[in-house]
Amino acid sequence: MEKAIFHHPRAKIQDYVPIVGRSTIEELRALAERLSGKVIQNVNSTLTGGGVAEILARMVPLLNQLGVDAQWATIKGDKDFFDVTKKFHNALHGRKEDISPQDFAAFLEVSKKNIEELKFHGDIQFIHDPQPIALIAKKKELGGKWIWRCHIDISNPDKRVWEFMRNFVTDYDAAVFSAPNFSQELPIRQFLISPSIDPLSDKNKELPSEVIDSVLSKYGLDKDKPIVAQISRFDYLKDPIGVIQAFEMVRKNIDCQLVLAGGTATDDPESEKVLEEVRERASGKPDIHILLIPPESDIEINALQQAATVIMQKSIKEGFGLTVTEALWKGKPVVASAVGGIQLQVKNKLTGLLCYSVEGAAYAVKRLLSNREYAAWLGKNAREHVRQNFLITRHLKDYLLLFISLYHPADAIYL
Amino acid sequence: MTEWLTNNWLSLAVPFIVLLAFIVVAVWARRIFYNYLDRLFVKIKWEGSEVLLQTTKAPFFQWCLLIGAYAAILVSTLSPQSKVLAGRIIGSIFIISLTWTFLSLAVKLLQLYLQKIKAPFPFPIALISNAVRIAFIVIGVLMLLDIWKAPTTPLILALTIGLLVAVLASRNEILNIFSGLQLAYGSLIKTGDYIKLESGEEGYVSDVTWRNIQIKAPDGRLILVPNSKFTKTTVTAYRKPLKKATQPFHFHTRLHIKELTGLKAKNLTELANILKEVPDSVVYYHTHSFIEEYQYLIPQPANEFALWVSDVIGDEILAEKLSNIDTFEFSTIGELRERIIAVINDVLSKRGDERTAFEGREFHFIKSVSVVLTTPYMAHDLREFVEALRKVSINSIYFHIFESRLRLHRGVNDFSIWFQDGLDERELADKIAVLDPYNYTIEDLRSIIIQLIEERIK
Repeated sequence: MEKAIFHHPRAKIQDYVPIVGRSTIEELRALAERLSGKVIQNVNSTLTGGGVAEILARMVPLLNQLGVDAQWATIKGDKDFFDVTKKFHNALHGRKEDISPQDFAAFLEVSKKNIEELKFHGDIQFIHDPQPIALIAKKKELGGKWIWRCHIDISNPDKRVWEFMRNFVTDYDAAVFSAPNFSQELPIRQFLISPSIDPLSDKNKELPSEVIDSVLSKYGLDKDKPIVAQISRFDYLKDPIGVIQAFEMVRKNIDCQLVLAGGTATDDPESEKVLEEVRERASGKPDIHILLIPPESDIEINALQQAATVIMQKSIKEGFGLTVTEALWKGKPVVASAVGGIQLQVKNKLTGLLCYSVEGAAYAVKRLLSNREYAAWLGKNAREHVRQNFLITRHLKDYLLLFISLYHPADAIYL
Repeated sequence: MTEWLTNNWLSLAVPFIVLLAFIVVAVWARRIFYNYLDRLFVKIKWEGSEVLLQTTKAPFFQWCLLIGAYAAILVSTLSPQSKVLAGRIIGSIFIISLTWTFLSLAVKLLQLYLQKIKAPFPFPIALISNAVRIAFIVIGVLMLLDIWKAPTTPLILALTIGLLVAVLASRNEILNIFSGLQLAYGSLIKTGDYIKLESGEEGYVSDVTWRNIQIKAPDGRLILVPNSKFTKTTVTAYRKPLKKATQPFHFHTRLHIKELTGLKAKNLTELANILKEVPDSVVYYHTHSFIEEYQYLIPQPANEFALWVSDVIGDEILAEKLSNIDTFEFSTIGELRERIIAVINDVLSKRGDERTAFEGREFHFIKSVSVVLTTPYMAHDLREFVEALRKVSINSIYFHIFESRLRLHRGVNDFSIWFQDGLDERELADKIAVLDPYNYTIEDLRSIIIQLIEERIK
């Protein structure tokens, strides 16, 4: 078992006061007080890499600063185990995967070993994602409260894998999903907790204009020409070709440039192919910039988002869509597809514009480029919407409330 | 012995006679001098006269006696060395007596006058008295050293350095004391005043000392402001006495988490049917979540049923009818639920259920689980209330205005109940009770209520 040790300096809870206000932090402290004496153990599959590890690395120290004894441990597994869990992950996302009975057996075998070796302690076991889901077998022996936190979109899962997982999930006291669509019919309590962004992270903090200009210059972008951008990995589900088509419609009437920036997923052989197709589609068009951004380039991503005039997210399918949250937080007018968690973030004509087609996307971008005041109004609302609903402080609040509500079944709890 | 007396009687008699003469003169002079002072003080009515007379009357005689003794030694036949020694001894006793007497007099007069100063805080009499005592003792010691021809320069130097160090070390204290004097003579602040500092800190002045001002904030915190800082900042003071409630208003806050019911509707029929069965907390969530989630928007979006019917089902007429349901009209969630179902059923009976939501765009029924917490903020009167109201979170205002009225079946907001029952402020209570909170953002409500209270206490 690995235990998390935080070597690098993290933001202090007090640093969020200028962003969310003193009273919000006071309320977090008040909630944390009510959990005094309780130990919360988070368990996931890795300390580094991936969204879950990233959010835990920020949340656990902040919970500790609030006075909550939150801990973090990881399960162990060999390559075969993680190959199987990757297949499970894809299958739960709705992708066709060839999963054999041996795969299920391998999963159970490693899980059994983890159940024996993991040092369980704490009053609440907070288990993240499918990899450690089978640890629930220890509940009968240990007691306490057990929560399964599902970070992935399981709205259309492979039935066989979901049934396998469901047997474990039903033994938990509660499950947590990121969007209503992701939930399933379950006999246990299900909570809705959206993911969040950290406004103090490199990806979201305010950048000096010199930094933004230098990034634009590095990628050969014209800072005086409006930028339409989609920042997303190169994946068919993000519909980059659709974005180019929409841009071409806009470009007929408005002088602007398109930036398609992102990385390729190492575990997805398709993404190289997508990038190739996108490059081919954009070749010979000087206003279309295809930028392959290396990993760990948070400042560059941030700079491109801050420099954009309009940000698009024309996904065909989307989990929660944290890139949309990032764009909204930067006060940018957003044009996004009405899929997945985007619908929670972009309320049509209030915090951005939703679209259902290439034509719809093009029309929305044109409206925003031609009506700067309207675009600015949407951007202002967008930032406030994120401040209220999708920052890490709200995430902390939800986790604290979740832990408290496990001990109080009523709809109104007086503490 | 007799022979020695016979030979030296004159050298003994002269000094004795001189001493006796001084005693006689001293008695006479004291009577004349103090009778004069008595008459003078009766005439000028000086408040320090009693102290002066009591403190100096006995020493005056001692001083005359010592002068007489000194004169007697001068006329005696003692050797020059003995005369010098005796003179120094007598001089030393004289200086000690003089120093002690003037020291006592100065301290007593100081105490008399400091006690009479009408300051908002007790003066540091002991400190000042001690400083005066030290000053007199230092002067006395210097004079004694001079009499005994001891070098005084190193002592003066050491004292000067010591004084400088002390002044530097306690410069903040000294600044505070001078600022305290400034406050005292200006009669600026007194205990019980409600004040607000430039920095935003505010509360009732609970104590004023020569070093700092203590302020009790509405959340119970005790704030200490050094006098030197206090005199440099902008202070707003409110002095109008206000009615205090026997039971203070305790501000609560309410935080909520969303719990999925697992129920979802893909058309209007399912929407109406499920709506009949779900708990009140579900109806409450879908008719109120927008208030918090979109609290920055004016006007705010309608309830979530209306939004879904418009965005997903595309029935703008029904969406408009649902938007127009005035939540403020209802005093229970049950009544509100009935109204929503009636509006949907009315449309279904006329047009039928024509449209179905795309997969993934169904209406998910969510319930709100509220956690209600006490906050440190409380108020006994309108002034405390308004200052606490400025500071509490929007969640707290939301709880007292929206949740308590409808979900907790109180029928009216908590603020109005307390204004009326706790402070007998019926008019103010009514003004706030009739405000339709659904037409404002929470921050707007905060500003409006503050404005109404400020007008009342102006």
